[in-house]
Amino acid sequence: MKKENKFFKYLSLFPISFYVIVLILLPLIYIFCLSFLTSDYYGGINYSLTLSNYLNLVDLVYIKLFIKSFLIALVSTFICICIAYPFVIFVSQKKKIVKNIIMTLVMVPFLTNSLIRTYGWIVLLRKTGIVNTFLEDLNVISSPISFIYNDFGIILGMVYTLLPFMILPLFSAVDKIDKSVIEASYDLGSTSFKTFFNIIVPQTKVGLFNGSLMVFIPAIGYFFIADLLGGGKLMLIGNLIKNQFLSARNWPFGAAVSISLVLITFGLVKIYQKIGGKMDDLGGF
Amino acid sequence: MKKSLKNIFIFLVFLFLFLPIIVLVIFSFNSSELNIVFENFTLNWYINLFDNRELIEAFSNTIIIAIVSTIISVIIGTLGAIGLHKYDFAFKNVINKLLYIPIVIPEIVLGISLLSIYTLFKLELSIYTILLSHIVFSIPFVVVSVRSAISNNVDVLENASYDLGASNFQTLFYVTLPSILSGVKSGALLSFTLSLDDVIISYFTAGPSSNTLPLKIYSMIKTGITPDVYALSTILLLVVFIVLTISILVQMRSIRRNSI
Amino acid sequence: MKKILLVFVLFLLVGCSENKNELNVLNWSSYIPDEVIYDFEDKYDIELNYSTYSSNEELLAKVTSAKEGTYDLIFPSDYMVEIMKSKDMLMMLDKTKLKNYSNIDSRYLNMDFDKGNFYSLPFLAASTLIAYNTETIKDNITSYNDLLNPKYREEIVLLDDQRIIIGIALMALGYDMNETSDTAIDSAKEWLLKLMPNVKLFDSDSPKSFLITKEVNIGLIWNAEAGIAMQENPNIRVVYPKEGFNLSVDNYAILKGSKNVENAYLFIDYLLEGEVMKKIIESYPYYNVNTKTNELLNSMYLSNPASNISDDDFSRATLVKNVGTAIKKFDRVWAEIK
Repeated sequence: MKKENKFFKYLSLFPISFYVIVLILLPLIYIFCLSFLTSDYYGGINYSLTLSNYLNLVDLVYIKLFIKSFLIALVSTFICICIAYPFVIFVSQKKKIVKNIIMTLVMVPFLTNSLIRTYGWIVLLRKTGIVNTFLEDLNVISSPISFIYNDFGIILGMVYTLLPFMILPLFSAVDKIDKSVIEASYDLGSTSFKTFFNIIVPQTKVGLFNGSLMVFIPAIGYFFIADLLGGGKLMLIGNLIKNQFLSARNWPFGAAVSISLVLITFGLVKIYQKIGGKMDDLGGF
Repeated sequence: MKKSLKNIFIFLVFLFLFLPIIVLVIFSFNSSELNIVFENFTLNWYINLFDNRELIEAFSNTIIIAIVSTIISVIIGTLGAIGLHKYDFAFKNVINKLLYIPIVIPEIVLGISLLSIYTLFKLELSIYTILLSHIVFSIPFVVVSVRSAISNNVDVLENASYDLGASNFQTLFYVTLPSILSGVKSGALLSFTLSLDDVIISYFTAGPSSNTLPLKIYSMIKTGITPDVYALSTILLLVVFIVLTISILVQMRSIRRNSI
Repeated sequence: MKKILLVFVLFLLVGCSENKNELNVLNWSSYIPDEVIYDFEDKYDIELNYSTYSSNEELLAKVTSAKEGTYDLIFPSDYMVEIMKSKDMLMMLDKTKLKNYSNIDSRYLNMDFDKGNFYSLPFLAASTLIAYNTETIKDNITSYNDLLNPKYREEIVLLDDQRIIIGIALMALGYDMNETSDTAIDSAKEWLLKLMPNVKLFDSDSPKSFLITKEVNIGLIWNAEAGIAMQENPNIRVVYPKEGFNLSVDNYAILKGSKNVENAYLFIDYLLEGEVMKKIIESYPYYNVNTKTNELLNSMYLSNPASNISDDDFSRATLVKNVGTAIKKFDRVWAEIK
């Protein structure tokens, strides 16, 4: 019945296949190859094979940096969960039109430039910023608090920038739960906490993992947050890669770090698929 | 828990999300350039906005890149999603899997791998390399949202259309596209916003004559942002608000109509 | 609908690619005021594309990763001129094209990194100095070692520049800032690790802002950054440390493969004009290397110790040198302390 039209088949499949092969696969393969080459110390690449870029990664300096970067990403993800879960549960109990308005408003900050919003935090939180001045005027504090240019600043920036990525998948998961199940749980004498852990969490675990992935993975790589709110002092894996490519002139080492990061990402995605997550739900908010 | 407590929590989350935005709106009317205290009300930053050549150029670059990259990714992504749904071929599974890569891997890895490829092929870094890079990260999002709109229903309709003697292109334009339009629209919206706010990938693939607004702001944050950037952002915010309000009003009407 | 879109795309693409009279400049951030660039564009009807970097290493990486001909004019410091020369990246300069060549202060010509100035001409000179706010820091700071005082916890902003900061650690310990022996580098690392609790920030782009907004009260920063901070807050004092300090000479250099060589010369010649350099140096008060400009400068500039070195201080200035492959030792220390 269906007419096999060769022309349309090629028209629809050729561009996307070309794109996948030349602009996704090829760059990754190139980075993979690059990670086995050596660099001369002024930016050139020598075509001699080596494993040293990966072996360098096992150095204590970089292990510390990886651990710190993962910790910051984990803490940021955890805080996002703590804010997003109650938020989406409360919102899901609202009327449909209120729900829609609230979820649209959540998207608004997302539509203004993320850097200018980050700068907004600097204006608010630096030592002579609005918050410190206000607290000092009220005599709550005697000397200004260092909110930013430290780990707290980086985590704040990550949570702030990435929170919508947690709220959206979690909301669509929570909103799907049959409300009568929750009511039944209360009727049987469960407390709010029990209901939350026994009913809500199990039913929304895929959405939770989806949101966690969408927060955790960017949080490893968002070098500009660390640059702007961390005082350029502490480096995340993202900063390490950026430095290797844009100032330390060691592309092969930067490539090795990137490949390790890709492998970690793939591992996390595999776990997500194992617990029943669909790939199309990632980023398809 | 009490309802009022829940509402307070929702309000606090919004306060957190909007606080920096409120700051930038307020400071766009501040006569002092230092962003430390609010001195006097002024509209000068709005009036003098167009004298800042670099800012305006960066802004127009950003808009051009966002529009063109959205159009191209929507065309390639929509056709691709339809093709991948309709036809079977040897490497279909591989293509499908690889398409997720730009969505899941950290942006920085995508940025440096594109930079390396451009260097390898001796492509001059310019507005075109940024454009190409934006297309690269937008296509998968378009494919995913279009795919979610293609249901079995579409197959039935398409078959009916063929049975009635329509050509492939007639079917595409009059049957397939209208029935997946919602997916195309949300894919387009997504790639437009992603392109508008992209820092990381542009950072690696920009050339000398190709400042975008996020890159301009990034370099300005380090040397101090002047309030005209706030003014520009406030105008953009206003536009976003108007568009969203209209869309909410439309939604309200359709809900009301459905309930009658 | 689709046709309209296609026409639109084509229109945009054509609009972008019209051939322009251009010049692609890559320069340090906070170095030339916008006004000077706009005036040049208007005067010569050239579109000047201006991008910035914040360290010599970043400059090198940007130039090497871009296709030849992407950038025309760059402003490398002394040791980077040497490295770029050795990598055959720079174009021989034709000084006859510069009618303002004679304005250059001869003290800054013919320096070790480019004898005869075949590839580079001095644009400005900068030093890295200690600046501190005397309102909050009551001690008299004269030496790098004073900064190790545990009282100054989280009070310091450092330049984000590995050669200079590690060089300073070496000087603090009595070594030359270009020393590369393992013992020297190791003790420099130890010295910096002792300093780290006092360091709040690393920034090369605009460290002055952190002093002005009182985020920190001490800075190891570019002299002009200190100079501007002093104009904003007269309580800020600048120190030429007794162990010596880094002097950097930043230079005009044209990259091989440049497609807008004539425009690059026009821009260099324009910047060499006394009046133009006056505008630059009054916005960013670095050390002036232009004799014409000297006559025009106002008293505010001339009385600012951050912008004028005494002969006594000048005797303690050291230039960063190319250390060849020993650079990997510096890379490593930098990764370890940050």
